[in-house]
Amino acid sequence: MIRGIGGQILWVDLTKGRIDKKPVDEDLVEKYLLGAGFLSRMLFDMIPLGIDPFSPKNVLGIATGLLTASMFPQSSRHVVAGLSPLTEIWGESHAAGFWGPELKLAGYDAIMFLGASKDPVYLNIENDKVDLLDASHIWGADVFETDDWLREKHGKRTRTLGIGQAGENLVRFAAIMNDRDRASARAGLGAVMGSKNVKAVAVRGTGKIEVADSKNYLKQMDIFFDRMLANPFTKERVKYGTTNLLELMNHIGRLPTYNMKQGVFEKYEKISGETITQHYLVKPRADWNCLQRCGRYTRVKTGPYKYIGGSPEFESQSSLGSRCGNANIESILYTHHLANMYGMDTISLGATISWAMEAWDEGLLTGEDTGGIDLSWGNHETIVKLTEMIALREGFGNILAEGSERAAARIGRGTEEFVMTVKKQEIAGQEPRAQKSMGLAAVTAARGADHLYAFPVLDEAGFDVEIKKRFGNEYLPEIADRLNPKFKGVMVKECEDYMVVIESLGLCKYGTQIPPEFYYEDVAAALRVHNGLNLSKQDLKTIGERIVNLNRLFNVARGVTRKDDSLPDRLTKEPSPVGPPKGQVVELDDMLSEYYEHRGWDVETGIPLPETLKCLGLEKDWKELL
Amino acid sequence: MTELKFVYGDPQICSGCMICVNVCSMYYSKVIGPEWSRVRVVRVEPGLDFPLFCRNCEDAPCISACPEGALSRTSKGVVIVNDGKCTGHGECVKACPYNAIRINRDTGKAIKCIHCGQCVERCPADAIWITTEAELSEKDADGRMARLYEDHKEELYGREKSA
Repeated sequence: MIRGIGGQILWVDLTKGRIDKKPVDEDLVEKYLLGAGFLSRMLFDMIPLGIDPFSPKNVLGIATGLLTASMFPQSSRHVVAGLSPLTEIWGESHAAGFWGPELKLAGYDAIMFLGASKDPVYLNIENDKVDLLDASHIWGADVFETDDWLREKHGKRTRTLGIGQAGENLVRFAAIMNDRDRASARAGLGAVMGSKNVKAVAVRGTGKIEVADSKNYLKQMDIFFDRMLANPFTKERVKYGTTNLLELMNHIGRLPTYNMKQGVFEKYEKISGETITQHYLVKPRADWNCLQRCGRYTRVKTGPYKYIGGSPEFESQSSLGSRCGNANIESILYTHHLANMYGMDTISLGATISWAMEAWDEGLLTGEDTGGIDLSWGNHETIVKLTEMIALREGFGNILAEGSERAAARIGRGTEEFVMTVKKQEIAGQEPRAQKSMGLAAVTAARGADHLYAFPVLDEAGFDVEIKKRFGNEYLPEIADRLNPKFKGVMVKECEDYMVVIESLGLCKYGTQIPPEFYYEDVAAALRVHNGLNLSKQDLKTIGERIVNLNRLFNVARGVTRKDDSLPDRLTKEPSPVGPPKGQVVELDDMLSEYYEHRGWDVETGIPLPETLKCLGLEKDWKELL
Repeated sequence: MTELKFVYGDPQICSGCMICVNVCSMYYSKVIGPEWSRVRVVRVEPGLDFPLFCRNCEDAPCISACPEGALSRTSKGVVIVNDGKCTGHGECVKACPYNAIRINRDTGKAIKCIHCGQCVERCPADAIWITTEAELSEKDADGRMARLYEDHKEELYGREKSA
């Protein structure tokens, strides 16, 4: 019996208004773990081909990992997945907080939403008592108002997850928010929740988690705690969160600026982590059992951008800042706060606005298109205004709410050239001409452009020791050189396999990937004491590989092949104009071929080879696709 | 009389991670579960996180509330529960002005913080420490922390209405 979990899955049929509880299938856990792996398997089997992501036939899954609510450092996370309305392929996103642990403490590991409700509803979970309740009076409310209302009604200790206006209005990059300011932001799954008429999931769990080896538990966790706290990165994370990545990225020319025209922002100091820390930081904020405390609590005290609230992090800072040529830090902080309030992905938000700004700069968009709104680089009033208009789908915001690729297709006139997406999802704040592995990772990620599916940061900051530990000497020194495309295929492959395991355990990539403090053997030790599972490093690697291949099959079934694993021409053909990567382009083809070879995928098509799938026990899934 | 000690935390330093809560439930009850912990962490927006412990009141209303005489103060000044005498009827829970005692659902016995320091040792933010009233009033000379606790006392010490 698997210990340390909730033990049950909630199946919520929204069409019928029916809720069933089923035990966790332990055979499935052995092959896919929980979290991302569990949802990968379930949704591959359940979501039909050829449907619209907003069809009731789409399935929205929310799952915790095997180690969510454990005492492993940074173990708060849950994952949401479904057919993405942005990419129309595999959609997956994750968040930290307390909502996931609370779900576990209520006795559940996952919730599967099927069908669609006729009227707005929310799911209320109080331990064994689970009800679909009327949400018509909070439909239209923002994320904070929804949280306030639910906690007023069901008790202050209630943890909430839900959507704001963006999700209701089917903005294609709407987030699913939890604990007010935590976001499962990417892939637009907030809009899927909105399409199903589900406003929120409120949870109060007062149960306990019984671990497998309570005798040695604290001893093992003390070792992890000590290692995490001794790691020099921890001090830096506590001080800056991820905000000081802005100056570090600028330094190596990897900071997306002016819609990724370049990787250096001349006004970077105005929006740096140092600036935020000195003038706007209230304090570091942590989620469940988090020692890194990269979460921020910030405040702008006066003026038009006055607010107090959670975060930001590097991605919001760069997408709403340098990417839009915006050096007004208070507007960046405030826009981030608004995105939380409306429930939107700040990466796609900033990237979509920056696309429009470049099109404006090139004279391809005018006031006639925008309803008179000035889209000059760095116009922070416009950024704030458009954020609201996108969430509410007003005027020009209604076009941008479709994401940059669909917006460009609608407007035409050559604006398509400035779309910085992979598979219709906007590329995150990682300028790949300055770090080649990030270019490869963006195209191989199952959910469209994404830096976290592989999170290949080992070549970023002198992790030679860890590279040696993970890969041996075979690929050094080239693998550690961020401008060298060599051996990035093997690196991205290994990182993906490991990261999907981490997403299936409910752990954070901070601590497991950057800094690369914990690796397979450590999470295996945690699985032993927490869950009583004896999985070897090789077992876990195989599970990771199985999940990645299944995600790929999900996408192959929807037409994805090598041709879709591509970057915008700007990144592969236009040499980076300034800074350390000056003259660099992403040598994608070579890296991609190397990656496919390591994966056991057909180098011409990018489709997994039958023998690869057979080794992973996925041959039946392949036959079903043919 | 020996000086009464208790654990106290700074709501502006505490990051709300709940490691103290988890350490406590694991150390004493061998489970992870806030309801099995002798410390609570309450997040109050904007931006405050309160780690809440037994305050070791001088008049200790919990001791006098117990009809079984199960609570007593040791020579070192720690209020402890005698499990042999405790019948779990919860008079001490009701009497505690800080909502710092609860009944362990498995054993049916009252549990409370005895300032053992296991959580203090492991707090990554160094937001909690063992103190006394005298020491605390020196440390909090301007009353900043005391005011925050006072301003939010209803939310901090109120009983939960459902679940």
